Amino acid sequence: MAVLHEQLAWYIGGPVLGLCVVAIRALIGERLGITGGYSSFVESVSASRFGIDWRGFLLIGLIVGGAVYALIAGGPDFHGYGWLTTTFTGDSRVLVAPILVVAGVLIGFGAKLAGGCTSGNGLSGTSMGSLASVVATVTFFATAIAVSFLIEAVI
Amino acid sequence: MRARFTALAVGMVFGVTLSWTGMTSPNVIRDALLFKSAYLFLFFGSAVATSFVGLRILRARRERAVLVDRPVRWTVERPQRHHIVGSVVFGTGWAIADACPGPIATQLGQGIWWSVFTIAGLVTGIAVYLRGRRQVVPAGERPGAPAEPSAVRG
Repeated sequence: MAVLHEQLAWYIGGPVLGLCVVAIRALIGERLGITGGYSSFVESVSASRFGIDWRGFLLIGLIVGGAVYALIAGGPDFHGYGWLTTTFTGDSRVLVAPILVVAGVLIGFGAKLAGGCTSGNGLSGTSMGSLASVVATVTFFATAIAVSFLIEAVI
Repeated sequence: MRARFTALAVGMVFGVTLSWTGMTSPNVIRDALLFKSAYLFLFFGSAVATSFVGLRILRARRERAVLVDRPVRWTVERPQRHHIVGSVVFGTGWAIADACPGPIATQLGQGIWWSVFTIAGLVTGIAVYLRGRRQVVPAGERPGAPAEPSAVRG
């Protein structure tokens, strides 16, 4: 469907995302956060009894949502993987995977240490009026912007 | 079971929205972080604004959650060093991969196989954090619980 290939207007997408936070709070009284979903899987594995909680199901929902979109829209609109695959070409292409693994470690460890990621702190925490989340959000946005410009200057 | 089904349904809406708004694409994220496009900031800002208003309407109208016996009200934390240090680490990883935990999951759903590497790193980072906490937190306490609750009423 062609309509799905056009980026959804921010003034529709944003409020829908915000209502997801409200829905989780209203229906089950919890703070929506995606990192918690991954954490739920890790915790259940390390506890040696497989039983993911609602956070894990939220994550499964996201994966299914992505799959549903891809099935209807007919796959993603981009090829390769951003600056990584345009910078590391030919023989150096093998570096992309380890770089993504390292980035993933930073994302996972950092989000846990900060008490949330873009959704837990950025979306849910700030809208709850948590000063800790506001500080975290300003910090990770500022850092990500600085690192992006740094990468742009180096490549 | 109700909580899990609810989370699954909300997660699907969240996932379709992240996909449809292009958040799955590292190019879209990178253009935002390099100030080439305002979309991400407008999208994020309107999401926070909607949630901010919605949560307050909810709190004024209800005491308990609809589907489970839990309070709707919440507590908030005061900023501490770990919020800042963690966010610097997180922001660095975010800028390298141009994806955060939500979009990484929708990438997997869309069949963008690069996400498998990011997810491998992500769960490793979480496991390292939880292992570190288990060593400093007395036995019996739940792993992954937020650090020292300096909770104040929100």
